[in-house]
Order: sequence, then structure tokens, then C-alpha cells
Amino acid sequence: MDILTLAWKNLWRNRRRSFITLTALSLSLMLMQGFHNLAVGSYARMIDSGVRAGSGHIALYRGDYNRSRDEALTYAAADLPKQLSAVTEVEHVLPRVYLPGLAQSSRESRGILLTGIAPADEAAVNPFLRQLEAGSLLNSSEGRGALLGSRLASELKLSVGNKLVITVQNRRGDLISELFRIRGIVHTGLRDVDGSLVMVGLKKAASMGGFPGEIHELALILNRAANVSEVMPKLTALMRHSAVHAVAWDVAMPNLSNSIKLDYASQKVIFAIMLLIVTIGIVNTMLMSVMERVREFGIILAVGASPGRLFQMILAEGLVMGILSVVTGSLLGSLLTWYLVDHGIDLRRIMPQSIEFGGVIFDPVLRAIWDLPWMAKISLYLLGLALAATIYPAIKAARLAPAEAMRHV
Amino acid sequence: MPLIQLTDVEKIYPLGNQQVVALSEFSLSIDKGEFTVLAGPSGSGKTTVLNLIGGIDQPTRGRIEIEGRDVGRRSTRALADFRLRHIGFIFQSYNLIPVLTAAENAEFTLMLQGMTKPARRARIRDLFADLGIGGLENRKPRDLSGGQQQRVAVARAMASHPAVILADEPTANLDSQTAEGLLDLMHRLNRQHHTTFIFSSHDPLVISRARRIVRLRDGRLEDDRVQQP
Repeated sequence: MDILTLAWKNLWRNRRRSFITLTALSLSLMLMQGFHNLAVGSYARMIDSGVRAGSGHIALYRGDYNRSRDEALTYAAADLPKQLSAVTEVEHVLPRVYLPGLAQSSRESRGILLTGIAPADEAAVNPFLRQLEAGSLLNSSEGRGALLGSRLASELKLSVGNKLVITVQNRRGDLISELFRIRGIVHTGLRDVDGSLVMVGLKKAASMGGFPGEIHELALILNRAANVSEVMPKLTALMRHSAVHAVAWDVAMPNLSNSIKLDYASQKVIFAIMLLIVTIGIVNTMLMSVMERVREFGIILAVGASPGRLFQMILAEGLVMGILSVVTGSLLGSLLTWYLVDHGIDLRRIMPQSIEFGGVIFDPVLRAIWDLPWMAKISLYLLGLALAATIYPAIKAARLAPAEAMRHV
Repeated sequence: MPLIQLTDVEKIYPLGNQQVVALSEFSLSIDKGEFTVLAGPSGSGKTTVLNLIGGIDQPTRGRIEIEGRDVGRRSTRALADFRLRHIGFIFQSYNLIPVLTAAENAEFTLMLQGMTKPARRARIRDLFADLGIGGLENRKPRDLSGGQQQRVAVARAMASHPAVILADEPTANLDSQTAEGLLDLMHRLNRQHHTTFIFSSHDPLVISRARRIVRLRDGRLEDDRVQQP
């Protein structure tokens, strides 16, 4: 018998009370691990979808284009895409041109954002292009084919094969109009995007803007294992003699980043409340356990245990309770995560319409991903909390005067 | 030099706004190997004397020396260590730890001393055999009779070979036959190991078996005499 065996035996002195406390601790840990992993999984999917359709994990801009959206801030792509593709972590390099303009059909006209893309590169990455409602994707960077957002097509009363005129202002300030034929219609689910999206070939858009061979944005898609903060210094070094600079996705897409931060902050508050309730539960259990054993502690002190030793004995009970809760809770948390990774939570029955979240479509099937470092961190935190919650009862026991404690009934 | 020396000891307990004098001008010296009973009615100060000798209570005034060292002037930690190594306690209601087995209860002080498990078990096995409770090592206190529990308590007190065993009314909860058996056992241990036994009791049986009787009344020494076996 050592101090931990004694703690284990003492823990089961009042089986029902210890079981309830352990259950509360384990279930709290399970829920925190499961729902953190679910949130991280959902955020990862949102970020993935957002960066693929938007500015990439990292975007290269000239000057403050990401804030000002000044069309004059173009730069020559030249062999930059080739250099960037050589960076191990970079999976795709997507050059883009953005021009505000006007789309006219024979019956209607609407304000649009003309987006010039490299069709072959973009087809493999951009989730918007997977939402093709009708027609086909672009096949040329210079051609007159265009992809329209579904709401825009409907408002202009156009369908696949119809023609439309797009007017933009070029660099010299002249209005340039070109005729395009609709190759496909995409339905992204994002109201604003569907109402203003017109995608054409990159070269065609740059030529309309009066800056052939130049672009506004290079969107970099990193491979799954890569970390933005690790790649940024490499790119900064690569761009050190250039007017172009790298911007991480959370800076380039503040809406998405802030929405995620806000959502996770509210989740953290819920976790904090859960931990507070759990802490009160442990303090209550340990305090009751100590108050019931005042006489016994008097005996233990009388036969030669020092107050420090008694303090350790009570603390060991908190440690055993913490370890047991962490093991059980992590096991349950892993089972819950496994289910949420494999099956997820399908919200389509209660949420039939797609919901926009931070500028991206919120996937109604929530799926978790394994965030093992966080699971370990919260487990250790809970263990620390169990120990911390035991300190007060342990001090109370250690301060008992043996003769007085032995008179306690 | 006596093993235990109490000189002009006074103990006052606060009780609300009043003060209760539990012991007053009490002096006593006990030599090694004595078998002494502190006799007297309830409230006469017997338990207070045991608590003071055992270092689990501090005198209000006076001096308590054990093996020449002043017990009353030690830190809490030093007192705990002193109790652990020099004093064995036997209580009226056994006071075994209910979640531990008989052997674990008996080896508790050895665990506090840091002795290894095999060494503890070996000593407890011998001690249990000697005390006539061999085979009961793995029983919980609730599965033992009163006499058996008190023998386990004696084993706990004896385990670390203390110089003094303090027994506070050890036979109060036992029938006369079991009490007689326990006293026989303690006499034997006293003879074999020269362990000093100090009892508190008002049980005529215990008093009749003691070699020295110290009578207390109202916190004062009333009588101190050695009786012939």
C-alpha cells in the first residue's frame, strides 16, 4: 500500500458520490473534446472552401490591394507562378484578375465583378466551379466564354449559349466592351457571389483591363500538412526584392477569420462554464469527503503522519480522481470524435437551406477532425483543475489539530 | 533519567467564553519498561495526560520530557516525526481505517516511515502471528470482532517498535474475557520487548493488572502507588 493505493481506496469510500463526480468530469471532457474537434473540423472545411474560392491560404498582392482593391495595383506574373510552385508546401498557384464592370443582356443590365482565371488551374481547386448548374467550364484563357453566377443569369434572363456584353474601364480610363457567350452557370449558394460573378479567361480579362500579362492576385493553395505561419517566412524571403508581398488568408479574408474567432470564443465561454461547474463539483466532493473523516485524520496525525503528509494524501485522492476522469473522458471523447469524423452531424433535415458563414457556405454536414494536441492539453488542464480543486480541502485537513480532530464526532 | 518526565504541567481548554482546567500542577515520572495505568473517573484528566505525553496536544504550562527531550517545544512536523518513531497509540474505539485491510492498517506507520512493502509485510506477518490474529491480514475492519480489531490496533501501535505505547481505555468496548486476553498480550509484549505501556482506564480489571496505578481527580494527581503482582 502506498499513497496512491490509499487514495484509490478512499475514493471508493462513498461509491455513489465518487461515481457521480467522475461521471460529470468524464462527460465534460468528452463533450469538450468532441465538440472542439467538431468545431475545428467545421472551421477547417470553411477555411478550405473559403481559401480555394477566395484568396488562397496565402495571397500575393502589390501594395495594399487586399484593402484598397485599386485596379491599378497589378503586377507582372512572369515566372513567379513557376518559382512559387517549386516551394514544397505550395500545391496550386492561381493567378487572378478582378475588374468591376457592367453586364448587359438584351433586356437587363447588372453590376458585376469580372474575374479572370486560369481555367485549367482553377478547375482543380475552385469549389465554385464544382457548383456548375448548367453548361460547361471555361476552356480557354483568351476566349469569349464566360461563367455566370446563377442569380445574375436569372436577373439578366440569360441561359447557357446566350450572349452578353461586359463593359469595364481600362487602365487609361476608357470604357471597353466585349461580347461573351455563356458557357456555364454556377450556383455557389452565396447570394452576393451568385448575383455578381462573371468568370472569364485570365488573358482576356487582363487585356480588357489594359494590362496584358499582369494580374491582381496570386492565390496559393498549400498542401494539407503545411502550416501558413511556417510558409510565410519562405515567401517573404522569396519576395524581398519585389513590390509584391504575401498576405495570409486570415488577413486577406477578415470576414471569415473574424467569424471563426467569434464562434470559437463563444464555444470557449461554454467550455469555461463547464469547467467551472466541474470544479465546484470536485471541491464539493473532496470537501465532503474531508469533513466526514475529521476524526480519522486526527488518528492519522496522531499515529505520526505530518500535516504535509496528510496534505499529500488528500491531494493524491484528487490526482487519482483526475487521472481516472481524464482516462475515461478521453476514451469517451475519442469515441465521440471517431463518430463525428466518420459520420458527422447532418443538419440538412433541420436546416434545408444553405447558410452563409463568414462569406463561405456553411456545410450542413458537420464533421470533426482529430486535434490531438488540444485533446491532450484540455486533459492536462482538467487534471490540473482536479488537483487545484483538492488543494483547499487538503489544506483544511492538514490544519487539523490531532487531539481536537479525535474528539470530533 | 526517567523515560518520561512531566513537571508542573497545566492544560486549560477554552470552552466558549470559559476556560476549563483539564490538568493542574501535574508532575509524573515514568521509567522505561513500566506498565502504568492512569485511573480516575471521566473528566479527571487521564486522556489529557496521554495526549500530552504523545505530543498530540501541547501543555498550557509546564514541561514534558521524553528521553530527556522537551516534547512541548517542538514544531508540528518534529512532533509528528517523534510520534511516528517513538510512540504507539491504542484507542478506545480501535480507530482503524475502514477502507484498509487489517494488514494495511497495521503497517500504516511503517508506510509513513518509508519502509518497503516486502519488509512491512514480513514484519506484520510475524506480529499478527504473535498477537494471535494470523490469517486475518486481508480482512477489512468491519469483518473483524471487537477483540480482533483491538489486536490489529495493538499491531499498528507495536509495528514500529516504539519506546512507549499509550492506550486510551483500550478495553472499554471489549467483553471481560477479550479484555483479559488483551491485557495478557500487553503484559507479554511489555516483558518481551520492554515496551513502556501507559493506560488510561477506570476498568477495575485493567487497574488490577497494572504494576503502577496513578490516580487522578479533577485534573490533579490524587495517588501514585506501585502494586505487588
